[in-house]
Amino acid sequence: MSSPTSPTSQQPPPAPKSPPPASILSTPLAKTYATIHPFLLLTLLAIRFNALVSSPVDTLLRDLLPLAALQLAYVVICLPPAGTIDPGTTAESTTTTPTPTDEKEKEKKSSSSSAGGIVLRPGKRGYRRKAHGASSGARGAIMAKVAASLLSLALTTLLATPVLAVCLVLFGAPLTTHHLETVLCAAHMALLAATGLVYVYGVDGAAWKEVWGVLRPADAVWGAALGTCVGAWFGAVPIPLDWDRPWQAYPITILIGAYIGYFVGSFVGRSSCVFGKRIVIDANEGENKDE
Amino acid sequence: MPTISGSWAILLANFLIPIAVLVFSSGFFPYKPLLPGIATFQEPRNGIAPPKVFDRLIFMVVDALRSDFVYSNNSGFEFTQSLIRSGGALPFTAHASSPTVTMPRLKAITTGSVPSFLDVILNIAESDTSSTLAHQDTWLAQIKAKGDQLIMYGDDTWLKLFPNVFTRSEGTTSFFVSDFTEVDNNVTRHVPGELTQSDWSAFIMHYLGLDHIGHKSGPRSPHMIKKQEEMDSIVFQVYSALEQEAHLESTLFVLCGDHGMNDAGNHGGSSVGETSAALLFISPKFQAKGVGNESPIEALDDLQYYTTVDQTDITPTLAGLLGLPIPLNSLGIFIPQLLDLWETESQKVHFLLQNSQQLLKIVKEAFPNYDFEPSLLPAASCTPEPSGGIEGVQCAWFHVLEYLRGNDEALTSSEPGPELEAHLLLFLGRAQELMSNAASNYNVMRLYLGICISIIAVWLSSPATYSLSSKTRYAGTFLLFNILGYSGIMFASSYVEEEQQFWYWMVTGWVFYLHARCSGHLYGNCPQMSNSNTGHRSGASLYYIFGAVGLAIANRMLRRWNQTGQKFAAEPDISQGFFPFHQDILWALVCLTYVATYLHFHFHGPISLTWRVSSFLVTTTAFLFKIMFVSADSPELLDKSFLRSIANRAGGMPLVSLARVTFAGILMLIVFSIYKKRQGVPLARKVPGKVFHEALTLLLMTESRVTNIPLFLIFKFQANILAAMDTTAIELTISSLLFQYMTFFAFGGSNSISSVDLSNAYNGIGSYSVVFVGILTYMSNWAGPIWWVSASHILRSKSNTEGSHVHFTIQTFHMAAVTTSVMAACTALRTHLFIWTVFSPKYLYTVAWAVLNHLGVNTLSEVGILLMNRK
Repeated sequence: MSSPTSPTSQQPPPAPKSPPPASILSTPLAKTYATIHPFLLLTLLAIRFNALVSSPVDTLLRDLLPLAALQLAYVVICLPPAGTIDPGTTAESTTTTPTPTDEKEKEKKSSSSSAGGIVLRPGKRGYRRKAHGASSGARGAIMAKVAASLLSLALTTLLATPVLAVCLVLFGAPLTTHHLETVLCAAHMALLAATGLVYVYGVDGAAWKEVWGVLRPADAVWGAALGTCVGAWFGAVPIPLDWDRPWQAYPITILIGAYIGYFVGSFVGRSSCVFGKRIVIDANEGENKDE
Repeated sequence: MPTISGSWAILLANFLIPIAVLVFSSGFFPYKPLLPGIATFQEPRNGIAPPKVFDRLIFMVVDALRSDFVYSNNSGFEFTQSLIRSGGALPFTAHASSPTVTMPRLKAITTGSVPSFLDVILNIAESDTSSTLAHQDTWLAQIKAKGDQLIMYGDDTWLKLFPNVFTRSEGTTSFFVSDFTEVDNNVTRHVPGELTQSDWSAFIMHYLGLDHIGHKSGPRSPHMIKKQEEMDSIVFQVYSALEQEAHLESTLFVLCGDHGMNDAGNHGGSSVGETSAALLFISPKFQAKGVGNESPIEALDDLQYYTTVDQTDITPTLAGLLGLPIPLNSLGIFIPQLLDLWETESQKVHFLLQNSQQLLKIVKEAFPNYDFEPSLLPAASCTPEPSGGIEGVQCAWFHVLEYLRGNDEALTSSEPGPELEAHLLLFLGRAQELMSNAASNYNVMRLYLGICISIIAVWLSSPATYSLSSKTRYAGTFLLFNILGYSGIMFASSYVEEEQQFWYWMVTGWVFYLHARCSGHLYGNCPQMSNSNTGHRSGASLYYIFGAVGLAIANRMLRRWNQTGQKFAAEPDISQGFFPFHQDILWALVCLTYVATYLHFHFHGPISLTWRVSSFLVTTTAFLFKIMFVSADSPELLDKSFLRSIANRAGGMPLVSLARVTFAGILMLIVFSIYKKRQGVPLARKVPGKVFHEALTLLLMTESRVTNIPLFLIFKFQANILAAMDTTAIELTISSLLFQYMTFFAFGGSNSISSVDLSNAYNGIGSYSVVFVGILTYMSNWAGPIWWVSASHILRSKSNTEGSHVHFTIQTFHMAAVTTSVMAACTALRTHLFIWTVFSPKYLYTVAWAVLNHLGVNTLSEVGILLMNRK
């Protein structure tokens, strides 16, 4: 494993039918806010730092709603909602059995297409037709945004938070104590990492399989998500030091690490030098060369 | 394939590592000259020499008696506190320097010297009579030399330190930590009888119960006050005898702790709780002087009640009060508050002068280049006055000499005056500080030489490592990150103390890597992989998707199994906080582990009835030994479990022979399987080395604490996952490396000397042997690492000898880099406050890792495999 800051592509993305990396919308507002948003989150963290140290649970709980609102605003303003970046906007691609075609071409096509049908789940024709019906107006786009943001809010709370809480425990968070801290820390991390992912990828199985396998091509959303998790991992570093500072208590450093990771990840992920590239661990390189 | 020159470079690096360690150690552990023989009075005793104040001594040690246990307002020592108020007891806080364990502390109390750090290394050897204080000068030896008799009841450490010194004695062993009462009753029952006897001059008692309570349930245990009251009643009993018995009229009664305890009830380190022991001089004679002290006092955070003295000060104080020569190697200073027991000022000064001359002798021995002769007496050279160091000692001595020369008759005739007393005390204080602080005489040249040699070892092993790790980009980066991170944390004392956190953290990162890598394969990044062994893959795909999750869950359990380190050591864990209350679960898991081991014998050994019967018998014997061992060692882990009746029925079986039978059986299994193989009896399943691995597992289980035995089940689970993951040679090596270090800590190890587990070091050993005890100590403390070295052989046995080369190269590079960084940290921080408490123990552990684990196990097993393959 390595930090997400240096993903490199070894081969063209081989995974079938997975959505291509998402770019920030091309509107001026989106471009501006996408730059401001990570700074805004860090600033808010800095402002709330003292409160966080003195009473972590209260502060985390109180900051949950504002953070959710901020994240939603960010995804709605800056990101394409689920389905709009479906790899094949043509009807054929909605079949569940994918046919591996020229991936690179697909990518190019899709990254340029900023609007299209709403596909929360590939293969659901109903949605698509409806969306095509209203495609001329802005209503369809708004509908897509509303649906995607509702979905992202629901899945972030119901699914991502428990999963991340379990991950936190597996990575060393206390199991028998500090339950509230763990859940709230996971909730914050979920808001940082999962809101964007769900908003952009919906419930696309192929995309989520790639998320599970750490195989997504780099973009602002995936970079932020991976950055959040890796940042949280690095956040554990100061805990054992004997400085006896109140902020060394769990989960403060983890959370700060997650926020910083989010900040770094979202900028690195969208930067042109890594955008679209995947972390591919070819463990057999060495042996292949020998054989 | 590796080039020949590369292999030779690695081999050479492996030769250089122990040389570097040797050179560095010789410069790092300063040699402290010990004066041989026994001190005698220099000149015939005349009228001026201070007369002895007491004829007899009752020396009562209460193990782990921290200062606040006696002095604070939350104490059971009510009678003792009334003595402090009335002036019958003079209270002090005695500073016990690290390592705060009984053996070195008793050395400090009796010889007055500061045990060198090397004493700690030889701690195992010290547990036996082979290393004693029999040939060193102690106040006990002085009493014995006078022809008087000594008696001792209590901790048998005294008997080991002083063989054939005591006329009457009974040792109690601190083996059964769970015993709070019996161990002390065995001392107390002798007290009334001995107090009426008049044939002894020194009566030593050493109570262990309070320490046991501390280890079991900490200083705030409900048993604690009760135990303090019990100890107080002994003080009362002795004090009453001092007042009533005619032959005890001139008896000094000393009550002291050998060390304190921290808030978790443990000791060994240098926290304020561990170093602050109580010390009281008690006699009705003091009451006549009428200097009472306030008591009890509000609890103090720093635990420094009344005057703080050094524990070594006990030696010259006892010598002075009992009219004995001060033991030769004593670094102590006569406690000034007790000087008033002598009538005249000249007696006081005379004794201080005696004390100074004795200390000066040691200083001269350690600093032969410095001159203390009066001929070179330009006291002017002392301006500006140095405050410490050898120059400070020299100056203070010159002041004394100057004063003496100016007042030649001062000693013999009139009152020498308090001025000389002040000069002497200044000299004594500086000399003690200088000599106690061993940091002054490192051989820095050798330190640098050692570092240079190990840098050469790093340099030799780096090209091969680089060419290996550059082939696999991420794994190589991870390895480099791991080594750099580890080298960095060696410079931070808290990370050295909490090293386990680093490895647990690293392993979570590595599991994430393995997860990403496996899913990369699964989603078709490496088609050639899925073609290579398709049959294997289809069954193992679950392992593939969720294997990393399984590893993570297993690691999370390992992490919680034994809390270790300093900061979180008292937090609840599985082995201390769960198993004692769920003994059936513990023993069910232990049974399961033994059954699993037998099943492996059954399914991987030769197809033969004899084999199956004998492997069953050996496994059963090993299990029976464990039960018997636990029922003798820590019955509190057995008495509520379903195995209680077995333990009771089989009770009384000799542990030593049972252990020997187990060891012999395990050896026999290995020999037997080789013999069968030669005969051509087919193995049930063809995994070479598997039988050896399982036999080793059984041996390691025998050498592990019972609460750690289920860990081997977890290890097997993890090894299965790793096997299913089809890791490459370099990934397997990194996994093996990480797991070796992580499991060392999961077994309860740490970088503190006090965490060395000796409970299984004497299995099957009747008479003491350094070699065997050393091997068993290593095996019981490094059981996890040894298991993973062996497991990585099994995991790689299906691949080629390439794996062996990769393993050897990377392990060597890692070890060389780690040794270098630890040496560099110890050199750079050699004046650090924690050098003797944190960095030196870490260095010792690194030596053990490098010499025993790397060279002894990793390297030798690789060489063995290579030789076997060549055949």
